[in-house]
Amino acid sequence: MTVLTSADARRSSFLDDYVPLPGVYDELLDAQGEPRPGWRTFCRQLGELATGEFGRRWDQAQNLLHENGIAFGAYGDSENPLRPWVVDPLPLLIAADQWQRVAAGLAQRARLLDRLLADLYGPQTLITRRVLPADLIYRHPGFLRVYHGQRPVGNRFLSCYAADLARGSDGHWWVLADRSEAPSGLGFALENRIVVSRMLPDVFHRCQVERLAPHFIALQQMLAESAPQHRDNPRIVLLSQGPGTPNYFEDAYLARYLGYTLVEAGDLAVRNGQVMLKTLGGLLPVDVIFRRPNSEHCDPLELSADAFSGIVGLLQSARERTVALANVLGAGLVESPVFMAYLPACCQELLREDLLLPNVPTWWCGDPASKHYVLDHLDELTIRRAYRNRGQDLPFHRQLQAWSKDELVAAIQKAPHAFVAQQHIERSTAPVWSDGGLKPQRIALRSYAVAAPDGFEVMQGGLVRVSQSSRPLDMSILSGEGSKDAWIVSPQPVSQISLLPTQSQTVELRRSGAELPSRVADNLYWLGRHIERSEAAARLLRTTILRLTSETEFELLPELPMLLRALVEQGQIEPGYVVQGIRVLLPDLRRSLPGTVLDEHQVGSLRFTVSQLFRAATLVRDRISTDSWRIISRIDQQFRPWPRYAGVDLTDLLTMLDQMIIDLAAFSGIVMESMTRTHTWRFLDLGRRLERALQVICLARSALEHANELSGPVLEALLEMADSLMTYRGRYLANLQLGPVIDLLLTDDTNPRSLAYQLVLLADHVERLPRNQTQPLLALDQRLAIGLLHDIRMIDVPMLADLHARGQSAPLVELLTVLEERLPKLSDAINHQYLIHAGPAQQLTEIRLEPST
Amino acid sequence: MKYRITHLTQYGYSTATPVCHNLVHLTPRQTARQRCRDFVLEISPDPAHVTARQDYFGNQSSYFSIHQSHAGLCVTARSLVTLLPVDLPDADKSPGWESIRDELPSVRAPEWLDAYQFAFDSPCVKSSAELAEYASESFLPQRPILRAVADLNRRIHQDFRYDPQATSVTTPIQEVFQHRHGVCQDFAHVAIGCLRSLGLAARYVSGYLRTLPPPGQARMVGADASHAWFAVYAGSSGWVDLDPTNQLLVDTDHITLAWGRDYSDVAPVRGVFVGAGTHSVTVSVDVLPEDE
Repeated sequence: MTVLTSADARRSSFLDDYVPLPGVYDELLDAQGEPRPGWRTFCRQLGELATGEFGRRWDQAQNLLHENGIAFGAYGDSENPLRPWVVDPLPLLIAADQWQRVAAGLAQRARLLDRLLADLYGPQTLITRRVLPADLIYRHPGFLRVYHGQRPVGNRFLSCYAADLARGSDGHWWVLADRSEAPSGLGFALENRIVVSRMLPDVFHRCQVERLAPHFIALQQMLAESAPQHRDNPRIVLLSQGPGTPNYFEDAYLARYLGYTLVEAGDLAVRNGQVMLKTLGGLLPVDVIFRRPNSEHCDPLELSADAFSGIVGLLQSARERTVALANVLGAGLVESPVFMAYLPACCQELLREDLLLPNVPTWWCGDPASKHYVLDHLDELTIRRAYRNRGQDLPFHRQLQAWSKDELVAAIQKAPHAFVAQQHIERSTAPVWSDGGLKPQRIALRSYAVAAPDGFEVMQGGLVRVSQSSRPLDMSILSGEGSKDAWIVSPQPVSQISLLPTQSQTVELRRSGAELPSRVADNLYWLGRHIERSEAAARLLRTTILRLTSETEFELLPELPMLLRALVEQGQIEPGYVVQGIRVLLPDLRRSLPGTVLDEHQVGSLRFTVSQLFRAATLVRDRISTDSWRIISRIDQQFRPWPRYAGVDLTDLLTMLDQMIIDLAAFSGIVMESMTRTHTWRFLDLGRRLERALQVICLARSALEHANELSGPVLEALLEMADSLMTYRGRYLANLQLGPVIDLLLTDDTNPRSLAYQLVLLADHVERLPRNQTQPLLALDQRLAIGLLHDIRMIDVPMLADLHARGQSAPLVELLTVLEERLPKLSDAINHQYLIHAGPAQQLTEIRLEPST
Repeated sequence: MKYRITHLTQYGYSTATPVCHNLVHLTPRQTARQRCRDFVLEISPDPAHVTARQDYFGNQSSYFSIHQSHAGLCVTARSLVTLLPVDLPDADKSPGWESIRDELPSVRAPEWLDAYQFAFDSPCVKSSAELAEYASESFLPQRPILRAVADLNRRIHQDFRYDPQATSVTTPIQEVFQHRHGVCQDFAHVAIGCLRSLGLAARYVSGYLRTLPPPGQARMVGADASHAWFAVYAGSSGWVDLDPTNQLLVDTDHITLAWGRDYSDVAPVRGVFVGAGTHSVTVSVDVLPEDE
């Protein structure tokens, strides 16, 4: 290896300009201003990139993040909109030899916490031997007695562990916090790696960065091996709290990456002591649950924190070991800071080892001597809550911030056991890319460990959190601070590892489908409906705007009444526009239209429809391809409220609509060409066919309701909105007549836009849904689908056209009304048969004790 | 005394429910002076899955689930229980209550350690300055603990009005304490809260009370009831049970089912069913003396 001079190592201008904070340990530069070991190759490689090039690549990488829709926050919650994930392009580098010492410490700590849980949920020798104060446990709000006595598979209490680390001014790493309930951030660590390594591929390879994949392989192996009967192909599900909860993005991301079915509590049910997954094809046994929600939300029978969430009977199934949970219920007990005060002693007692990696010195005020010390040294210490409940840090954090010193002292005196004090760690800094230059910011590193047959496997990397101040990290990792990738750089080339199974394993051929959870089928069905609804809205608006901006006076156009009726029907404009007398009082449509269709709060408006579409897509993100997701995300982005909204005119709106129609076509193309014809696809298409059928009927009715309005321009607009004008001209040239139009839009089953076409497909889909083969009669959904198809097949087009031409619109309108009423019945029948498995769970009234004396 | 006990709990649903999961504490506990024989738990309709286990506090709990459509659920617990009279320690010779309070945190003998965990807040019972103040009228300095607790028991009986309409299963004890009314489980919770607010260990006992018919009338079947009271840890005198609802020291009229920190640990019947309708519940308890 060639020895580098510092000049070689620091050729890059923007690295040259970096100035660390005085007196603070900096990760990149030592006290002499030289790059630290581990960073030198990086600096040299980066030095070959011009600042402009770096900035340009960073913009591209940002686009990737943006298109992948990396965000967090509650989906569909307007109070708490999605915030983009913030990642810095410069990774944190740590030399492998340095890191291995930290990793050994983390592995030991995970083993220790595992045994600590086993003891507390078992014999509690730590209490009888006075290693832990008895009241520390008895006061612990997370020590639910129902968790005690569990004997998990392999006697493993901790499967996944994470720790927040910080480097102090002495250059040593300290543990700031433990995470044992359901550590978050794995997905973000992975995404950061993908974004940053793609931005700097050459640098990444030259630096010989340890891969993250082995960690995820270890996670998969751990989960597979924890299956109760060690089945060969265990069914593993990732249990999420679902959309609307902050961790949902990551849950969906991980489920997809690891290849597990993403489920919510409602998708699971306990039958005869066995946890089952509710699918279209029936109930399927679940072997392993990779648990993301807090334990107390997991079983309303025994854990009453939230009576309406969870899987009734889960705790008992876990006790009976018919299912394995990672982590076990109650594993969050030991992530409370109070244990940090006693871990060195626990380590001696349980492992007969010294704690390798120190945690930040901690005092529990519940111990009288410690309380005394804390009150005497309050200014040098950070006060924190002794007992933590995952996800509920913020209120307490705010309260601590608000208290004066006197109030704090009073609070500690009143309930000393509720507080711990920790020594303040002056956290190290690392360079962060900001406004085309580098600035030092404080970092903390979250690293992950997963149980392996012989101890714990620590991730070679992690998630770096970046913040402006060196204050303690009392916020969740989702609090909106910045983040970085962490590179463990090896002196040797690293091996390429992939998550794909090795060649030696023979995989059984399968064409899955029946395993689709009913809830997911429901969401796909609605995605299909919203896609079609969006397209119908876009086409109607485009047709209208083309006429609004034409040379002819809009009010004189014969197709005006029909367009207005259809717009009102969709909810795009106020109902008053279809009433001649009222319309003159309303604002000119040419000026008001952009505002109303972009009003998110108006039910039925284009913007509203797009929001619904986006929300439906977020719910099934793990079921649609990345490309499909990007398209939906792009449509949504285009319609996000932006300042420009104010100035949007009809021409802008037309451009947006053209783009949207093309995007929707692209989505349909991907679905058509790339989606396997499983039930996933079938439910998406069912929704879409049903909605398109309804939309065609709605258009036809708006156009044909009043026989006296019928004219060439009306028929032309109708064909245009139904995307059938070309076909019509190809067949009949410019000769616009009602009969051929009715045929093309309603009865011609070769036209993918016709009603007949939708009904043929609906009948076919319904026929292929899973059902009980022993049933001799047709089910309701089958009968309805066949009936609808029959109705459309029996239409006498020439007769209807003839009657209509003679002023009798009633027969045609009646027919449309009948069809319009039956379609929702078909939708309901499918819902009842496949999508609604059971009603909500309820608690039985508890009996009051009332002696009759 | 020997009793044949029948405890019947019936649920009716307005619409049939396909699934029901239940957790019950209906097996009389074995104690130093109580023996339970011939315990049977009858469940209708037939459950698909039944298991019993010993919970954290040493009580027997049973879990069962029903997976067939049913419009009602009937749980009958039958047992034969033999009770020995209580051998009450001399209250005047019981330790001063402060010595118990001071020793609880430090003595590590298994019995003391076990008792210590009943000195802390639990889901239904939070200690408070108000409860401590109320209790201190009975807990005079150096008073023997059993004298003091008997006085507290007497005062709760005297100060609180028995009123089944006033509270529900979810009424917090602060409210019970403020309004001075409730039922047996509320009074037990108040007593437990008082004792814990002083640093003493107190537990909640769920069970049955044998009732005597009014003079000259025949015993009515099913007129007995589920009942609840509390016990205090008195060091060398062990756990002593008191019934604030009836101002009694617990003896052979009280049959113990289970104990825990409060009602939530030992609810006799708890369940979750799937379905949208409403439901009703009726309970009847029959405590039949064997020699009758």
